[in-house]
Amino acid sequence: MHTAESRAGHAPLLEARGLSKDYGDTRALDSLDLAIAPGDVYCLLGPNGAGKTTTINLFLGFVAPSGGQALVSGLDVSTHDRETKQQLAYIPEQVMLYRNLSGLENLEYFAALGGRGSLGRGRLADILVEAGLEPDAVDRRVSDYSKGMRQKVGIAIAMAKEAAVLLLDEPTSGLDPKASNEFSALVERLRERGVAVLMATHDLFRAKDTGTRVGIMRYGRLVTELSTDEIGHADLERIYLEHMHD
Amino acid sequence: MAARTVLRNEWRLLMADRALRIVLGLFAVLLLYALANGVVWLRFQERIVETVQTGNAERASAIEQELAAIANGAEPASRFSDPRDPYVLGGGRGTHTAVLTPGPLTALAVGQSDLLPYYYDVNIYTNESSFQQNGEVENPLNLMVGRFDLAFVVIYLLPLLVLALGYNVLSEEREQGTLALTLSQPVSARGVVVAKLAFRALLVVGMVLAASLLGTLVTGGFGSPGRVLLWCAAVVIYALFWFVLAAWVNSLRRSSAWNATVLVGAWLVLVVVLPATINIASGLLHPLPSRVQMVSAQREASNDAVNRRSELLARYLEDHPEMAEGVVADVTFSGALAWAATDAVNSRLEEVTGEHDARRAEQIALVRRYRFLSPALLAQEVLVDAAGTGDARYASFQSQVRAFAERWRGFFVPAILAGEQMDASVLPDLPRFSLADEEGADVARRAAVPLAVLGGLLVLVSAGAGVGLGRVRGAD
Repeated sequence: MHTAESRAGHAPLLEARGLSKDYGDTRALDSLDLAIAPGDVYCLLGPNGAGKTTTINLFLGFVAPSGGQALVSGLDVSTHDRETKQQLAYIPEQVMLYRNLSGLENLEYFAALGGRGSLGRGRLADILVEAGLEPDAVDRRVSDYSKGMRQKVGIAIAMAKEAAVLLLDEPTSGLDPKASNEFSALVERLRERGVAVLMATHDLFRAKDTGTRVGIMRYGRLVTELSTDEIGHADLERIYLEHMHD
Repeated sequence: MAARTVLRNEWRLLMADRALRIVLGLFAVLLLYALANGVVWLRFQERIVETVQTGNAERASAIEQELAAIANGAEPASRFSDPRDPYVLGGGRGTHTAVLTPGPLTALAVGQSDLLPYYYDVNIYTNESSFQQNGEVENPLNLMVGRFDLAFVVIYLLPLLVLALGYNVLSEEREQGTLALTLSQPVSARGVVVAKLAFRALLVVGMVLAASLLGTLVTGGFGSPGRVLLWCAAVVIYALFWFVLAAWVNSLRRSSAWNATVLVGAWLVLVVVLPATINIASGLLHPLPSRVQMVSAQREASNDAVNRRSELLARYLEDHPEMAEGVVADVTFSGALAWAATDAVNSRLEEVTGEHDARRAEQIALVRRYRFLSPALLAQEVLVDAAGTGDARYASFQSQVRAFAERWRGFFVPAILAGEQMDASVLPDLPRFSLADEEGADVARRAAVPLAVLGGLLVLVSAGAGVGLGRVRGAD
């Protein structure tokens, strides 16, 4: 297997060891082994129900594993919930914020929860702008925001937190191409800063464009893993479809 | 840090939510209205007490002046109201009114003070029927539903406000999608919910305590700091019970609508249905004898006594041989005969009121036995007791008045039977009513059990909520 350590020369920030999850009789994730190093963007591809979101939820500690371990910086999520969450940032498909508060107030709240309460409003406003929000939108109520703007606030939360690991669950789903590109650019900037990114997505183009590695999942299993340097868009689509038609 | 962050965010959310601000504003208005109601009632009672005490002084002064005038050779104003006659001095003209001063926190909880008499005219005619009558004419609707005072707001409306503020404390976060983002931070659902509810509790309890302390300040209730402390403790524990109940229901991870339905149902059962059921059951199982029966008994006994005065006097003296010496019974319509008739009426009434009191005691015992089922009953018991408007203080007052009436009769009846005349020299020795009000320790002792049970319920529900919230993760 193409490990993160061998690729980046660093210990993995995110690691799954034989990670499994059962919901009743259904196995949602089956013995996943995965390692993501700093500066790695790992894209999980697969149809609905393949186990992508379950993987992310296991790293977040939102569900307990049925077997194996989910590790963040070498710490088991099951036993070090708080310590691992201090290093994580999470952007779901829909970043839902407090509608009656402004983007800046939301950022203040989540940054403070993430342990960055010492950042002043000026610095946080700068982070929002850095994340792509228009300066005049910073103090507007979130109820006026588009989905793309909310996703940018999600990125700003991760930036303010200075998270070492970013978990993205279909973050560009429903975004227009321009907003998707902007989002990818932001992820690329975080990657350059050494952030390890795990992104679940249906978007093959985005996975090839943004990711450094791609893992294809089906029925809870990681069926193949590819380096995006070694394949083109067409190759990725072909390989993906081959696995889906088995 | 996380708690402070959540508190700050809650404040912002409150400030940004117009509907919530209106609800809180309305609650503040209701608190002030209830307080004003209580103060108005307290002032009314204080005026009555002052009037009664003035009446006592004026009667005593008029009697003293007339006795002095008679001693100087003047004739009594009327031979039927001659103050030298012990029947007159110990009867209507010399009546001494025993008064229960309003409870220290009456303005906060009117309690039983508008239902039970707080003054009694005591003279030789005072009998058990005197204790069954309230001297004030009161709106029966007020008596039936209780006054709109702070205790009413605390018992009935405070839980509703708490439920309105807390029914969706966690479910709303899940439904609007902010829970996942929140729980992806290094915080627990338990910590977040506790901080959110703590903010709301500070707000609501703070408002109620501020109104309570304002009422106490305005009416001088700080003279009884123990009662104020007890009141505050009951308010805090009762409010927290409803907050943790909301937390517990939220920890079950159902929808906001489901939470609201369950919590309103709990309010209905614990605050309305159970207390009403216990009340109705006590009335059905231990019905009080009718007042008509008492009035009929009084009339029958009076008629009978008038017809058989001599016989009754002989029987009275048989029962009280120590008073037989010197009895003047040879004068028609003498005081001795009249007293014997009065005593016979009293004895008959004691039989009827004894039955009434026994049933009433059974009712109270039943309510006390089952009050543990309802936090509202427990809290109400502590609140009215702390205010000095509960059953216990009134029962103690009534029992002291009974003893005083006995002393009053003991002073005058021997003189009536002996046909003696009195003069100004007896005035300093006349019995005076002096209330031995309950001590703070007595109130605290009585409140300890309901308060402890309420605290126990709070701990129990808190434990359930704590366990439930500990299971909440971000992907429910």
